[in-house]
Amino acid sequence: MPNLTIDGQKIEVPAGTTIIQAAEKLGIEIPRYCYHPALPVAGNCRICMVEVEKQPKLQIACYTPVAAGMVVKTTSPKVLEARKNVLEFLLVNHPLDCPVCDQAGECKLQDYYMEHGQYDSRLASVKVKKEKKAFSIGPTVMLDQERCILCTRCVRFTDTITKTSEFGVFDRGDHSQLDVYPGKELDNKYSGNVVDICPVGALTDKDFRFKCRVWYLDHTKSVCPGCSMGCNIDIDWDKSRPHTEKKERVMRLKPRHNPDVNNYWICDSGRYNYHFIDENRILSPQYLDKIVEWGEAMERVAETIQSTKAERIGVLASAQLTNEDLFVIRKLFKDTLKAHVDFRVPEKPGDSDDFLIKADKNPNTAGAASILGAQADAQTIVQKAKQGELDLLYVFGHDLVKLFGKETVAQIAKKTKLFVFQGSNINDTCGYAHLNLPSSVYAEKDGTFTNCQQRVQRIRPAFFPLGESKGDWEIVSFVAGQLGAPLSYKGPQDVFDDIVKTVAGFAGMSYEKIGDQGMILKK
Amino acid sequence: MEKVLTRNFGLENSHRLETYLKNKGYQAARKALTKMTGPQVIDEIKKSNLRGLGGAGFPTGMKWGFIPQANPKPKYLVVNGDEGEPGTFKDKYIFEKDPHALLEGIIITCYAIASHKAYVYVRGEYVKSMQTLQAAIDEANSSGYLGKGIMGTTFDLDVVVHPGAGAYICGEETALLESLEGKKGFPRLKPPFPAVVGLFGCPTVINNVETLSCVGPIIANGGEWFAKLGSPKNGGNRLFCVSGHVNKPGVYELPNGITLRAIIYEHAGGIPNGRKLKAVIPGGISAPVLTADEIDVKMDFDSLKAIGSMAGSGGIIVMDDTTDMVWAAMVAARFFAHESCGQCSPCREGSGWVYNNLKKLYQGGARPHDLANLPGIIGNIGGNTICAFGDAVTMSVGSYVSKFREEFENKIKERVCRI
Amino acid sequence: MFTTDLLRQLDKIAGQYEQKQAALLPVLHAIQEKEGLISPESEQDVSRYLGIPVVHVHEAVSFYHLFHQTKKGKCHFSVCQTTSCALLGGEDIIEHLKTRLGIKSGETTPDGKFSLSVVECLGACELAPMMQYNKEYRGFLNKKKIDELIDKNK
Repeated sequence: MPNLTIDGQKIEVPAGTTIIQAAEKLGIEIPRYCYHPALPVAGNCRICMVEVEKQPKLQIACYTPVAAGMVVKTTSPKVLEARKNVLEFLLVNHPLDCPVCDQAGECKLQDYYMEHGQYDSRLASVKVKKEKKAFSIGPTVMLDQERCILCTRCVRFTDTITKTSEFGVFDRGDHSQLDVYPGKELDNKYSGNVVDICPVGALTDKDFRFKCRVWYLDHTKSVCPGCSMGCNIDIDWDKSRPHTEKKERVMRLKPRHNPDVNNYWICDSGRYNYHFIDENRILSPQYLDKIVEWGEAMERVAETIQSTKAERIGVLASAQLTNEDLFVIRKLFKDTLKAHVDFRVPEKPGDSDDFLIKADKNPNTAGAASILGAQADAQTIVQKAKQGELDLLYVFGHDLVKLFGKETVAQIAKKTKLFVFQGSNINDTCGYAHLNLPSSVYAEKDGTFTNCQQRVQRIRPAFFPLGESKGDWEIVSFVAGQLGAPLSYKGPQDVFDDIVKTVAGFAGMSYEKIGDQGMILKK
Repeated sequence: MEKVLTRNFGLENSHRLETYLKNKGYQAARKALTKMTGPQVIDEIKKSNLRGLGGAGFPTGMKWGFIPQANPKPKYLVVNGDEGEPGTFKDKYIFEKDPHALLEGIIITCYAIASHKAYVYVRGEYVKSMQTLQAAIDEANSSGYLGKGIMGTTFDLDVVVHPGAGAYICGEETALLESLEGKKGFPRLKPPFPAVVGLFGCPTVINNVETLSCVGPIIANGGEWFAKLGSPKNGGNRLFCVSGHVNKPGVYELPNGITLRAIIYEHAGGIPNGRKLKAVIPGGISAPVLTADEIDVKMDFDSLKAIGSMAGSGGIIVMDDTTDMVWAAMVAARFFAHESCGQCSPCREGSGWVYNNLKKLYQGGARPHDLANLPGIIGNIGGNTICAFGDAVTMSVGSYVSKFREEFENKIKERVCRI
Repeated sequence: MFTTDLLRQLDKIAGQYEQKQAALLPVLHAIQEKEGLISPESEQDVSRYLGIPVVHVHEAVSFYHLFHQTKKGKCHFSVCQTTSCALLGGEDIIEHLKTRLGIKSGETTPDGKFSLSVVECLGACELAPMMQYNKEYRGFLNKKKIDELIDKNK
């Protein structure tokens, strides 16, 4: 474990650590373009050069390993001068098109220029002309060659992470150009990540470009609900500027670093799976064809429950719900009412690979299993409902039409006294349900998901629930109140504290301890 | 003076095995393989003060000594014949006139470092060189000088000729390794150095063609004999390539330590048409240019370094008093801009920028601030890149501006359009 | 796909290397020798043959100036413009060729007979001003020698 000094601060790090990594541990961010912690070191941009005592030349911090007794300076006049010079070189052939560049605001050329550049231009000749400007290179990404600083992060990403090798740098010298192979497209399941790692505006996202200036975005830490991997994400949403009237609130999703789950990446289907947050939502409770007040809706559920027996109540919970939602469902329907409760509907497995994409497209299968257990059986519940053996069928989010077919669902509507659908988005089942209840989507929820690694991870509300929708836990608590058996949780955190007390695997956890990295369920 | 490297050049069919054998050929290799150990060979080379003649001047024996013998991986010898340094054309003569001298050097070197495979990287344009070398390898293979059990010993060695494809940067030893592995010629980050992680991740020695051609004579005559031929710490003779404004351009074998003046005026026949010397590049285009009053310098690595230039590859380019030094700087910068591999940003962007500025100066479109900015821009490239190419741009192009400043200033005052 | 003959030749080349990928440059040379250029189809074939992603084959083809993606003329002038040649009139030779052939560097005459490449040092400064004419080195050039070559091949 070598001891070294960086900018006067002492630190001990494992042998093999590079200067840039050691500095990071001290909270010192050394500028970088080509360096990315998850990619092989290229050492080509030269912006991370630092002064190492007893070395005549500046050293690149991304490649130079620490040594015992090393004294590093990251802000000495010599270093600052070198940074300025490297920036000047990088900008020689870079266009001055920040006003029309979608990267503006999160561009490292802009950022470092403001910090280290700010010189008068010495460029007195023409720039090298490159061919492709705003050029589509695949279904998701646009390329702008003249903005590219040839850091090769994208080349290394497609070579080493996806192993699909779409990118290359062709020609040489200042005529070098980044491109995909002529006639081929950047079309892999993780293509959007190249936009995230591009430090400049060379690679931009078709889905996002020109939709919103990044300084209007707020960021909320969350977890992708697209599959059981539970990749950590940031929800980037529009802070509702008063002068615009956008219907969409979420502008984009970005991967959030978690070395134990998704590292720096997410798949494209997770990345672009956000439009449902603002589209096709159920906005108010509806009984048959009529919009009703929450009170009336809840009254109808309570009445039905009170007028029947436990064995004539079936509940189809969902692995799309949070642990908190599921626990409240368990509390009311399973522990108190002793009804049939299950979440395991017969879904076809989705696509998967050996990287991040899992066949189970639910974010919380592990959580649902740990909280609800597996006493009842979803298929039997549906059969019972179809055969008139249930008075109440309460469905959370599932599209029964897709899962069991129209006929079955029509039968259920006919045979049950009350067929409740509680969900965030309209699907074919809504048309058959007697009562539709609007619930919030994950981006409006506080709570936790448990991923396929049994890791319990936090999601956080980016904004208020749309229309009259409410959290699933809240709606179920409302029902309990109407039944005269109130569940007096103040919020998801309160529910979670009860889970910790009740469900063995969660012992010792709290929202605070889960933090940003998550915690593994105990066996 | 005793000829070492060019000893066979004048012979008829000097490239043939038969001729080589008649003139003590392969006796040094036989001596090494039968009477010496690898470490003894290395010691002899150390004693000879042989230094890398590709340009860097690194002590050859020391370089071989870096090969970790305990490493179980195969070891490689890579011969750098990517002769691309402007002003240099000596390796071509060795390939075409005495390829067996090179092969003998290769055999001895491989024996010393316990390598059984050597690759000779020849620049792609040297078609005739590759043909001659391949023919020599074929002869040696069929006569037991290469292949399995060389000269009746247990030592095996294969030599493969690898063609380059037109990229100056591949003369940089790690770019050459990348190129030899089938990639673009991008210099590698160092360390590790090739002696530890080289070709295919194995310990590798990379030596220039001329350097290896000295090895046979050193083993035959002893390291001390070779050391005495040259100047202190710069053993032996070397091949000086003289071109530009001289009466007799060509390759001259002369001792390390001869003066530049003697090479130009005594050997290369002086400047044509009675004109005066203005400037001279002493060691390939990367070496800082010298003025006419600096030519009494001794042509060895240490003496040239002492006056701020370098011996480099031994390529001497002579410029007479009709030469426009702004134009000469532009021509040099044009070369660097054309040959920068494009990996590191200062060199990639800087070499083109410097060339464009010099072009503007030469063509008459520059303003005083363009000249004022020029040394700073040139200076910011060197020292900040993965390989020495960036240093070469700074040192070489920078030297024209600093030594002939007045000519640059006059260009701005003249305001003559040369487009 | 490679012809059987070419494949046999490539196998022989690739067999000399501990790692097959290392044969990229000689393999490309062999293909260009036969076909006069490196076509996108050849890049795909080489990619499969050597196990190198095709984009990296193309990187190499575009990086190394001896590989061409279009056919060169029957007479290919590669004229040196670096210092030693330039000092002795190399730039005039280039200008003369441009005028005589009516093409720029990198171009081929419409009849496919002549191509011009302006190149950097070819390692034959003792012959300055010099060029590579197809595979051969030609030195001590002057306009008359150039004219003779052009007229002979017209």
